[in-house]
Formats: sequence, C-alpha cells, structure tokens
Amino acid sequence: MTSTFHGLETARRAMMTQQYALQTVGHNIANANTVGYTRQRVNLTPTEPYPNAGMNAPRIPGHIGTGVKAGSIQRVRDQFIDVQFRNEYNKFGYWDTRYKSLEKVEDILNEPSNEGLNNQIDEFWKALQELSLDPSDSGARRVVQQQAVAVAETFNHVHDSLTKIQNDYKNEIEVTEKNINTLLNELDNINQQIRETEPHGYVTNDLYDQQDNILDQLSQMMNIKVTREKSGGNANSVAEGAVTVTLINDSGQPMTDANGDPIVLVDGTGESAHKSLAVEFDEDNPFVSGFTFLDEDGEVAVDIDLDSMPRGVMKGLIQAYGYGDDADSVQGVLPDMISEINEMALVFATEINNVHQIGFTKPDINGNVELGGLFFDLSAMDGGAGAASAITIHDNIKNLDNIAASGVSLDHIVDGQKEVYQDLLNADRDEDYYDNIRSFLEDGSNFVNGQPVAYEGDATNASRLADIKDAALAFGDSSTTIGSFYQSVIGDMAVNTSEAKSMRDNSEGLMHSVGYHRDAISSVSLDEEMTLLIQFQHAYNAAARNITTIDEMLDRIINGMGIVGR
Amino acid sequence: MRVTQSMLTNNTLRYINQGYNQMARLQDQLVTGKKITRPSQDPVVAMKGMRYRTEVTEIEQFKRNMGDAHNWLETADSALDQANQVMQRIRELGTQASNDSYDASERANIAKEITQLREHLQSIANTKNSNKYIFNGTNTMNPPVIDMEEMMYLPDDLLNGTIDPEEADLVYNGQVYRYVGEEDGEQIYQDVRQTEPAFGDPEFEDGAFRLTVDGDGTVRHIRPNPADGGDPTISKTLRTNDVVVANRQAVSFNTQNIDIELTKGVKIPVNVNPGEVFNNAIFGDIIRLERALQDESVTGDELTSYIDNMFGHVDTIVSVQAEVGARVNRLEMMENRMLDQEITAKRIMSDNEDADIEMVIMELMMQENVHMAALASGSRIIQRSLVDFLR
Repeated sequence: MTSTFHGLETARRAMMTQQYALQTVGHNIANANTVGYTRQRVNLTPTEPYPNAGMNAPRIPGHIGTGVKAGSIQRVRDQFIDVQFRNEYNKFGYWDTRYKSLEKVEDILNEPSNEGLNNQIDEFWKALQELSLDPSDSGARRVVQQQAVAVAETFNHVHDSLTKIQNDYKNEIEVTEKNINTLLNELDNINQQIRETEPHGYVTNDLYDQQDNILDQLSQMMNIKVTREKSGGNANSVAEGAVTVTLINDSGQPMTDANGDPIVLVDGTGESAHKSLAVEFDEDNPFVSGFTFLDEDGEVAVDIDLDSMPRGVMKGLIQAYGYGDDADSVQGVLPDMISEINEMALVFATEINNVHQIGFTKPDINGNVELGGLFFDLSAMDGGAGAASAITIHDNIKNLDNIAASGVSLDHIVDGQKEVYQDLLNADRDEDYYDNIRSFLEDGSNFVNGQPVAYEGDATNASRLADIKDAALAFGDSSTTIGSFYQSVIGDMAVNTSEAKSMRDNSEGLMHSVGYHRDAISSVSLDEEMTLLIQFQHAYNAAARNITTIDEMLDRIINGMGIVGR
Repeated sequence: MRVTQSMLTNNTLRYINQGYNQMARLQDQLVTGKKITRPSQDPVVAMKGMRYRTEVTEIEQFKRNMGDAHNWLETADSALDQANQVMQRIRELGTQASNDSYDASERANIAKEITQLREHLQSIANTKNSNKYIFNGTNTMNPPVIDMEEMMYLPDDLLNGTIDPEEADLVYNGQVYRYVGEEDGEQIYQDVRQTEPAFGDPEFEDGAFRLTVDGDGTVRHIRPNPADGGDPTISKTLRTNDVVVANRQAVSFNTQNIDIELTKGVKIPVNVNPGEVFNNAIFGDIIRLERALQDESVTGDELTSYIDNMFGHVDTIVSVQAEVGARVNRLEMMENRMLDQEITAKRIMSDNEDADIEMVIMELMMQENVHMAALASGSRIIQRSLVDFLR
C-alpha cells in the first residue's frame, strides 16, 4: 500500500521538473542570438518506481510510478559536423588569407590599365621611337627623359608599395601569433575548469560552448584535430570532457615531432601544460625563418619544417610575407613578386644603359661628341637595395644633350675598319658584345680625324634603344622580351589569384553549408521554444491541478470523514 | 530539416550580400566598359589585353612614323621637281643662246639669268623640312651647299696653291676628275668612275680617262681611242675656263641614310643621297655654261655640247625622283595595310576585353530582380514568429 501523501510528492516532483524545463527554455530564448551558443534540453527521466524489487517488498498491484526528475541538461550538438565545419573553416582561413595577399599585389600592379608598368614602359618605347624620328628636337629628348623618369618612378612605386605591404604582414603575423597563443591558453584554462567540475557529476554546457568557440577560431588559424578526454570520478554520462588538440596535416593525418609523436598543443588529460606558438623572423631580411612551438619553460619543443606548416590563416600569412631557411631560398607571394620586379628593372635598366653607352651625345657647339654615359642609375643597389627601388635616371640625363641618340658616322671610320665595326654590331650578343663595340668606338685610330664623328640628325642609337622593346633578353635561364616577361609575371599572379579565389569561394560555400547543418541542429528556434514553453506550462499547470485534487482528497479524509449522519 | 530564425536571418543576409556582390561586378563592367577590372577575374583576358594594348600602341606609333616619312619624301619630291624645272629652264636658255644670231651682250644676259637659276638650285639643295636639311644625310643641322665660291676655281688655282689638288674636284663635261699623281711636271686627274687602270699601272697611259694640267696651266683631256689603228689615245687641249675646279667639300658628302621604322623591323630610308643630285658635277657644268656664254670665242655649235650635259643631269634628277616616287608608293601601300591592321588590332582588343553592354544591362536587370526577391522574401520571413500569434 502506498502512502496517502504519495500523490503529493509525485506532483511536486512534476512541478519542480517542469520548472527546470521552463527555465532551460528561458535560457535558450535568452541566448537565441549568442554566438556559439548551443541549445540545451532537459533530459526528463521517470524517478524510480515503487516498490523496489526485494524479499521484503510489499505486495501491491503494479509497479507504481513516482514521478519525474531532470536527469541531465544536455547540449544538442553533433560532434561530427563540428569536425567537418572546422575542416572547411580551416581551408577557408588559408585560402582567404592567400587570396587577400594576392589581391593586394594585384591592386598594386594595377594591370591592365593606363597607369600600370606595362603602359608606362610602352610610353617610354614610344618616346624613343619619336626621338628616332627627330633626334635633333629637344622636345623629343625631353619626352624621352620624362618618360624614363615615369618608368623609374613606377618601378620605385611598385617596389615600395610591395615592401610596405610585406612589413604590414609582419605585424599581422605577430598579432595572429599572439591571438593563437591566447586561444591555446584559454583552452587550457577551460580544460582545467572542466576537469575540476565534471567528476562531481555536473555537465558544464556553457564551458563546452566556449571550448567549441575557441576551437572554431583555432581551426581557422591552424589545422587541428580535437579529441575529448572523459573525466573520471562521478561524471555524468552526457559530460563531454576536456579536449586534447593535436596538429594535423592537409590530409588529416597527425603531424609528428622529431620523435614521431603527435604534436599535442593542448593536453586534455592535464598531464602537460599547453604549448605556445613562436614564429621566428630573420634578423636582417624580411622573412620567417622558423615555425616552432615552445613548452611552458619557453624552450623549443617542436620545430616544424617551413614547407609543411599546418594549413590555416597563419600559413597564409607566412606564405604572403615570405619564408625560407636562409636569405637565398626565400619564397612567398610578396618576396617572389618583389624579386621578379627587381629582375625586370635590372634587365631593363642594364640593357638601356648598354645600348645608350654605344651611342653618341648631341654635338656641342664645336661639333664634338662623346660616347653616351649611363642612362639609368642603379648605384643604390650597392647598398643592397633591389633594382626596382634603386632605379632612377642618371644625373647625366638631366642634361638633355647627353641622351645618346646618334650613332657613329660611318663616313668617318677609316677604310677597312667599317667592316670590323659592322661585324661587331652583328656579333652574337654575349657578355662582351657591348664592351667590344665600346672599345672600338673609344679607339681614336679607327676614325679619320682621330676621333669619332656623329651627327645630330642621326638617330641610329635612338632606334637601337627603341628596338630593345622587341629584343630577347636574358631573364635568369630564359630569354624573352621585357614586355612578355612582365606579361608572364602578371599572368602567373592572375592565375594564382584566381585559383585562390575559387578555392576560397568553394571552401566558403562548403563552410556555409556545413554551418547551416550545424545550425539546423544546435541553434535556437524561437517558435520551437515557444511551443515547448506552452507544453511545459501545461504540464506544470496540470501538476498543480493534481495537487489540488489530492488536496481535495485529503480534505475529504481529514475534515469530511467520521461525521456520518451529521 | 530543422530551420531556425537565426538560420533564416543569416541566410537572408548572405543572399542580400551575394546580390550586392553580383551587382557591384556588373556595375564595374558598366562603368569601365571592360569585362574585367582585375587580372584574376580572367587571367587569359588580362594577358591578352596587355599584349593587344602593346600592339595597338605600336601601330599608332608606326602610323606617326609614316606621317614623318611622308613629310620627308614629299618634301624631297617637290624639291627635286623644282630642281628639274630649273634644269629645264637652263637647258632652254642654253639652246636659245646657241643660236649664233645672239650677240655677246645678249649671251651675257642669258649667263646672268643662269647664274640666278644656279643660286636658286643651291637654295633647293638646302631645302629644309621642319628645320632639318633633307639633302645632307644625317647631318641635318648643316646645309649641304654652303659656299658657291668654293666651286668656282680655275685650273691656275691648282698651280698657285689657292687650292690643294688633293682637295679638288675637276669638272668637265658632266664628269668629275680627281687628282691621282704628277708626272713630268703635269698634274694628272682621273675620271672618278674609273678605278682600273690605276695611276702607275703600265696600261694607265693608254687606258685612262684623264685631265692633265701642265706647269703653264694648259689643260688637256686625254681618253682612249675606241677606233682601231691610229693613235691609242685622243688628246684635246681645253680652254682653261672650260674646266671648273671645285673644293671637294663644297657640297657636303654625308652618305648616311635617315631610316624610319614603318612596321616592326622594316626600316626604309626617307632621304635622298645628296651626292646623287646636288654634287659638284651639276653645279660645275652650270658654271661652265655661264663661263662659255661670257666667253666671246665660244661658237654656237660648241654651246650645244653643254646642253647635252644638262640633259644628263635632268636624267639623273628624274631617276632619283622616280625612286622617291616608288618609295612613296611603297609607303602608301604600307600605310593602307597599317590602317587595316589598326582596325583589326583594335577590334581584337575590344573583343577581348570590352564588356558587351547590352548583355551586362540585361544581366543587371535580372540580378536586380533576384536581389529584390531576396530582399522581399527576407523581409517577410524574418518578421514573423509564433509569438505574434500566441495570445
């Protein structure tokens, strides 16, 4: 036989439990717009029925229920979708950073346009052509001089802008490094709280949310794998545990340190302290020379090969800024572009100088001419600067008469030497080509009057300068024209940018799609909460009614019994 | 699938943002008129675009070069035409004067007119095109004919040291003779067209066309006798004023061409070699005619030979003119081709990178509709929740 008051206790439990549920609904509604919040649900379980099985158990019909209790409050979340999401978020982080760096380079080079380097150089060739039409015209000389200044300044501008962006990237790497270390530290702290709380049977939903939030952010920075470590003690079955974070490579396999062990950044078991990221910069040149993780004492615990950095924002930033083992092996979006622009400026200026030096200046008042001097000044390169930043027009050229537009007058070369001169001009363009011609022109004995004569109206050298446009020049191992070299630089960049953009768009799409599925499971639906609110309210009301009924029952027993016939 | 409010709001935002992105791209296309604004949008279009631009710039430059070439050649053509007229007039005057009925004073008047014509010819030789002398090779800053006095010496001047024989051109009968050496007190000048036999060769005596000037200033013309038998050479003593002695430098001798590039790698000379037309020979022959007209001893018959010389010079001018004309023709052909090329290059460039405006506007309209739909549906969906319908 159960107690008379049995029903009261059942109803009380129901009211209490529905109230829990209503409070959880309230919590969900309150956090409907909280980033990273996972909706929670109360797991209602019936309390143990009466009586318990046993020898002395009373013999009563049935196994009478004793009401309800809130078994646990659990997050509604799918861990597998988290893994997918983080994987896409990681790709997105990497490609987005890479795309942005390439996009900046693209902005600086500003091609195709009327302001870009390509057009400036075309204008310079045009000015030289114009000079070849009218070499005695000081207007034409002035235009050549000014276009040369414009070309040099465009080279300077491109170089300076690229270098400036490269410096910005250094700051960004340092900020991101701090950010990652803060996240690792926070994760470690939360792990500790979880390890302290869970053994007492609590389910720390809001700490899990914080953890997941941090893991999302961290996965954008670096490719990580998350493992949950169950807590010991009296842990609830839905308790999720602290997290262990390990680095993985692009194919999802764990990255290993020198001993072949997985690289653990945060240890969920609490056996070791978290590691912190340290990006090492070279002291003299702008590039990253090391990607390491430090232990709690600040000693290098893991040194990761720069060619196999974990994918993510950090890798994207380092690849933009430049990395390598030493100054000669640096690669990266900005250093590559800077070195190509430098090479182009060097080849361009050297060839113009070479050709300019076998021409003759405008005759002075006595009709005397001199061999052309340097056209572009690259002397700042001695200080280690890149050619594109060093290039300026030479002081010579500030005097327009010093532009060597004329070729030597063949009529004034002594008989027999004309053929020698022609042979020199037609010789193979090896490294001595210009030196040979120049030493021929410097040798007075080759000329009728003991010195070379050149006429103002002669534009041979101006056309030679203009012809450099179509000359195949040596760029490293390949030989091509300046125009097509630059076009291939732009083409490479454009293809890389376009690849990065489509990869970014793809991973962004996937990320959104996975995020959408995650939201479908974990985000708060107000309509749903409203219906639950009504549902639990009704249950609460009904439990109250139940108490009223029992109260009436008891009232009957206490006040209405034993007064029969009264 | 479970869909929540926050998912709807996020999606609405994303869709609206996507719409704006699309419209921004189309706006870029409309405003710039180009398919792409950055190379990564279409690397192939960007690369081709750069190459086509370079090509168009190049063609535009070549067109300007052609304008310059035209200038040069047409100025030369009209100068040569004038020179031709001058020579024709001189020939007419010569023919007139060869009539024996003209007396000495009339001939002297004709000689004066010819002097004027000769000076006119000098100014034609010094024709300028945009401040450059066109008949002086690359030495465009100096006139080819500076001082006529330098081509009016007499054979006596060779003996008295007024002019160095090595520096002199002797003009006789349309030909130029140059000093080769001295023998038996005679200065020997050989026809410049003849290089074999050279002075000193055993054949020189019989085979050379030459002028000799002996110590008295007597000038003789000696040439091989084409007839068999008889003397191996024909020798003729000339009037001293029938040989004009000119300084070789009197007419500038810059032989270098002014080349202008008209299409890639094709350079054509746009000037006339000054030595071909305005040389010591032409001026010398005119001077000889003047002197002959002033010389009373010269008969009308003798004057005829001078007229023949003029014919020779007219021929030279006409042939040079013909060459200039041929070059102008070539230039015009290249120009037509260049115009075609320009149109083609611009069309290719435009096809490659210009946006199809009609299509862009259509796309914009479509995108606008999509965008409106996104806004409208978003605004309706996110407004309502169950709360609105609960009591």
